[in-house]
Amino acid sequence: MSRDDSDVNRRTYLKYVGGTAATVGLAGCSDSGGDGSDGEDGDDGSDGEDGDDGSDGGDGEELPEPETREEHLQRANLRLNERAPWVYLNRQYSVYGIASRLDWTARRDERIEAQAISVTEGEPSVTITQSSMDSGLDPHDHRETPTDNIVVQAHDGVLGRNADGDIIDALATDYERLEEGRVRFEIRDGVTFHNGDELQPSDIAYSVNRVVDSEVGIESPQSDQLAGVTGAEVVDGGVEVTSDGVNPIVFSLFASYCKVVQQDWIEARETSEINSDMNGTGPFQVVEYEQDVQIVYEPYADYWGDAPEIEELTIRAASESSTRVSQLLAGETDLIVNVPPQEVSRVRGEDTTEVTAVPSTRVVFNAMRYDVEPFSSPEFRQAMNYAIDLDSIIDNVLQGFADPTGQPTLEGFVGYNGEVGPYPQDVEQAEQLVEDSGHADAEITLETPVGRYLRDVEIAQAVASQIDELSNVSCDVEQRDFASLAGEVTSGDIENMPHFYLLGWGNTTFDASQTIIPLLTSDGALSSYREDEEVDELMSESQNLPGEN
Amino acid sequence: MALGRFLLKRGIQGVLVVWGVVTAVFLLRFITPGDPVTFVAPLDAGAELRAQIAADLGLDQPLYVQYVDYIAGLLQGDMGYSYLRGTEASTIVFARVPATVELAVAATVVAIVIAIPLGVISATRRREPADYGATLFSLVGISTPNFWLGIMLILVLSVQFDLFPTSRRPIGLFETLAFLVTVENGIAAPMNVDAFLDGLWTWLWHIALPAVTLGTYFTALVTRLTRSGMIEELGQPYVRAARAKGLPESLIQYKHALQNTLIPIVTVLGLQLGTLIGGAVITEAVFAWPGLGTLVINAINVRDWPLIQGSLIVIGTGFVLINIFVDALYAYLNPRVVH
Amino acid sequence: MISPRTLRNLRSELSRSLLAKLGIAILAVVLLTAVFAPLLAPHDPTEQDLENANIPPLGFTATENQTTSQMVDGEVKIVEEEVVVNTTAEHPLGTDSLGRDVLSRTMFGARTSLLVGLFGTAIAVVLGVTVGITAGYYGGRIDDALMRFADVMLAFPSLVLAIALIGLWGQASLRIPDPLVAFGIASAEMPENIVLPGTVIVVVALVNWVWFARVARGEALSVRDQEYVKAARSMGGSDLHVIRRHVLPNSLTPILVLATIQIAAIILLESSLSFLGFSGAQLSWGFDIAQGRQYLSSSWWIATVPGLAIVAAVVGINLIGDWLRDALDPGIEGQGGAS
Repeated sequence: MSRDDSDVNRRTYLKYVGGTAATVGLAGCSDSGGDGSDGEDGDDGSDGEDGDDGSDGGDGEELPEPETREEHLQRANLRLNERAPWVYLNRQYSVYGIASRLDWTARRDERIEAQAISVTEGEPSVTITQSSMDSGLDPHDHRETPTDNIVVQAHDGVLGRNADGDIIDALATDYERLEEGRVRFEIRDGVTFHNGDELQPSDIAYSVNRVVDSEVGIESPQSDQLAGVTGAEVVDGGVEVTSDGVNPIVFSLFASYCKVVQQDWIEARETSEINSDMNGTGPFQVVEYEQDVQIVYEPYADYWGDAPEIEELTIRAASESSTRVSQLLAGETDLIVNVPPQEVSRVRGEDTTEVTAVPSTRVVFNAMRYDVEPFSSPEFRQAMNYAIDLDSIIDNVLQGFADPTGQPTLEGFVGYNGEVGPYPQDVEQAEQLVEDSGHADAEITLETPVGRYLRDVEIAQAVASQIDELSNVSCDVEQRDFASLAGEVTSGDIENMPHFYLLGWGNTTFDASQTIIPLLTSDGALSSYREDEEVDELMSESQNLPGEN
Repeated sequence: MALGRFLLKRGIQGVLVVWGVVTAVFLLRFITPGDPVTFVAPLDAGAELRAQIAADLGLDQPLYVQYVDYIAGLLQGDMGYSYLRGTEASTIVFARVPATVELAVAATVVAIVIAIPLGVISATRRREPADYGATLFSLVGISTPNFWLGIMLILVLSVQFDLFPTSRRPIGLFETLAFLVTVENGIAAPMNVDAFLDGLWTWLWHIALPAVTLGTYFTALVTRLTRSGMIEELGQPYVRAARAKGLPESLIQYKHALQNTLIPIVTVLGLQLGTLIGGAVITEAVFAWPGLGTLVINAINVRDWPLIQGSLIVIGTGFVLINIFVDALYAYLNPRVVH
Repeated sequence: MISPRTLRNLRSELSRSLLAKLGIAILAVVLLTAVFAPLLAPHDPTEQDLENANIPPLGFTATENQTTSQMVDGEVKIVEEEVVVNTTAEHPLGTDSLGRDVLSRTMFGARTSLLVGLFGTAIAVVLGVTVGITAGYYGGRIDDALMRFADVMLAFPSLVLAIALIGLWGQASLRIPDPLVAFGIASAEMPENIVLPGTVIVVVALVNWVWFARVARGEALSVRDQEYVKAARSMGGSDLHVIRRHVLPNSLTPILVLATIQIAAIILLESSLSFLGFSGAQLSWGFDIAQGRQYLSSSWWIATVPGLAIVAAVVGINLIGDWLRDALDPGIEGQGGAS
């Protein structure tokens, strides 16, 4: 893909016409894709010996054509397992430390919605300590989880999610698909912003446009979160959102992204004011904001939903995990994020504190560039997967706080293929595949960021050491400064990308497409794998089939 | 007037140094890989959008144009906007200054209070157990990694024995002082002494561990400087003459020898300010202390150049001011020096 | 250049000072360990054994948590708490998070750390002495310009420089075949190469040369106006000749003493850079401390063992520095580098 047209990649992508337009049935986010499922893959025979790892039966059997959108996604995942563009590693867990006097269920999407916290004992005031503070309070001008968590207390979305990730109503009370590329939201009545003004449908349309249209206000870094959405307008008291193509996951996107702001309030303010105060419709309103230090909230009395139990909420930050744990143990805070495995016993050892863990929406992998030797060979890439002992890495390096993966999509996501398991370790098979690939005695280097993901360097060292154990490959680790590495990966030009690198990817839409399209298709902006027409086709067809939500 | 000329000269030199720092950052920008656009663009941004964002940030200009613009802005007190935060860099940077100054001063005070008596004892009891003890203490202090000490202090003193809070800076010294001097409607409000004492106590209680952590290296360094300085001074002819005159030993030691020893100590401490800020990065991270060190690191990690530049300018200016002050002190302590 | 008188001073100081003897003993142990690491180490320091990760030192116990990936009611249950006791001498100082032997890593780490200290200091000395003597000897504008440049370096946090250069050059690792392994003296299972982080060496040198420049300049200034130097110049000696014959020898002693102190500072700086993720080597004290820091509250030995090694090496080197200073030139003291 030449770099000139990659800026419009996703949108042009979505125009690949295929399926018919359809109205959509409302449903929660479908549970695991492991139900029923579609059987085997009629692959084109180009990959070496059995690339799939025994989870599916007879090779070479013709697989039926996938029909539904979910089947397309599952087929893509099967194909990606076999062609092994990544060394599949682990799904991260979100691990929280929490004071026993609080009752709260951890969410899979890393959000902490303080409204869901109940206090069983002591003062109804709660302090949350994250790893960092916000990068400004503008709900549409950031991309990181810590800022999200600070923003969501005061801002609602059009739709929302419960703790399991199912879509629920929020500012919209009803939503439906009108036609291909057009959906409609009915807006809840009687909702007010914290300044007392009533929520207008135009505020919602404005919020959507502020994210997707750089002509409106800002160049939002969240435009990819509303992938395919082209704009919104008020029609007959409701809001209609238009997309390129069918955009089957549009409701899923609105359940995770796009917080609603008040148009007048935003337009009357300077950038720096928007970044230091919030006026949302959410359950909490800002009392005090001290940049980089803390933010204090109180419940918003006229909140449209259930009033929160907490009477005072404070969010602070401490970048060192051991400091967060110490704060929790000393009773200085009530809820902390990212408790690393080695700190878990400290938290559990106290009567007043507990650990709660939940699989997150983040996957860690080693990408291999399809266009450079030796990674251009599918056999070689499979060999890398067979070389590693993923279970041991998860048990020992991550102390069990992770799940193994064998496909880009996580369990519980739409499109997850329950028939596809992780690669088992098989050193002989790996060495044989390396021989077959014609790249025996290859010397490769795995580039890893330092301190970006839980145990990133250690995972990389373990992977490299296990690959190095193969008699015919030698592997080294190079530690990279994340900014340089990320700069190369996101530059839009595959030539700039490292050949073999460790990366993590979070996808809170609970849909396979938001991982596979950007990372593993020919048009994906961050893709290291741009040769697989089958995957491209499956994905483009899937984007033009109606989703279940 | 001598002082005026001295200040003028040092002031000009100081401006040159700060200008040098700004220029150096711009040169580094030229060679440092990693594109700020990565962190402010949507992940799927293509070349066109990236170019657009780069243009919005002013990054499409040739570097020398950016440089000239930046200097021009700086002369009007404008450090530009943070790429990532959409806020003026100067606001973010200056918000961090009090915490940094407090920590640096507290660490220096810890160092001086412990180190000077220790160094003097060590020098006057040479090759006795006290000297060996002080020397080993200072060497271990110099070689103890900051974060090890910090984490250990928290684990033992805060978590185990509950003597200190684990971290944070809930109140600043200036905010505490504000309880004493509050002006309402143009009239000085009555002093709130209780609130002041409360605030001061909270502040001291929270800054104690970070100050000790950051100060240990300096305690060790100053102990060593004091010891060697005192040994040298005590061997000088004037000391022998004073002894011959029958002046009390303690007077000789503390009045004459120590006073002369202080000069190089003060000089080295002034020059070490950069090190102090560097060491503070780790201390700040461990104690969740909102200072400039962590700001610089975080800004570097996302290549937020206006923030990096702003912070370095403030640090550089602090360095220059401290050293002018040190030189003035030098002249005061040692009137023989003519500038 | 080493006169009999100097030797006499060194000997008499050594016989009087317990600490000097201690310093020599410590450094000898550290150096011997570093040189013969492949023969002494019980394991290949890079060999991982994931099943035996985080084993405590002999005689200590540790608790570890495991979860199942089994989901119970949509929640992850932490099921198992494992108490690990080390009763075998297989890993006398325990293992790190990837099951590598901590003792072996500390032995091999000594090589990287000492070589970084040595090469870093050597480059800093050459650079600093060249700049310092040029500035001091010629004086005037050259002096002004060079010293302002030095000030800029001091006011500029080393970290920013480190990130730029590491980003630019990568880690530029130098691989030196280990002669003990190459000639078959040590087991072939030991690593064949000593890996030196080239960029880190350059960075620590660039951060630390200023101190040498200041000392060298001071010496050059004081020597420049001595009668014999003036005489040598008036007799038509070239500048280079005069510098080599008269200025350089005079600067030697203070530079040597400063260098012993700087080696220690540089070893620590390497560990700070590792802490922040800018290490080049993956087998050095700094790297292990940086990695082990995360485990201080549970597997404390991972960072503490190499930390104690740094303390020992730094104490040893500094005690030797003290000895040299006391014997040769009591008038100078470290203007150490970073913490």
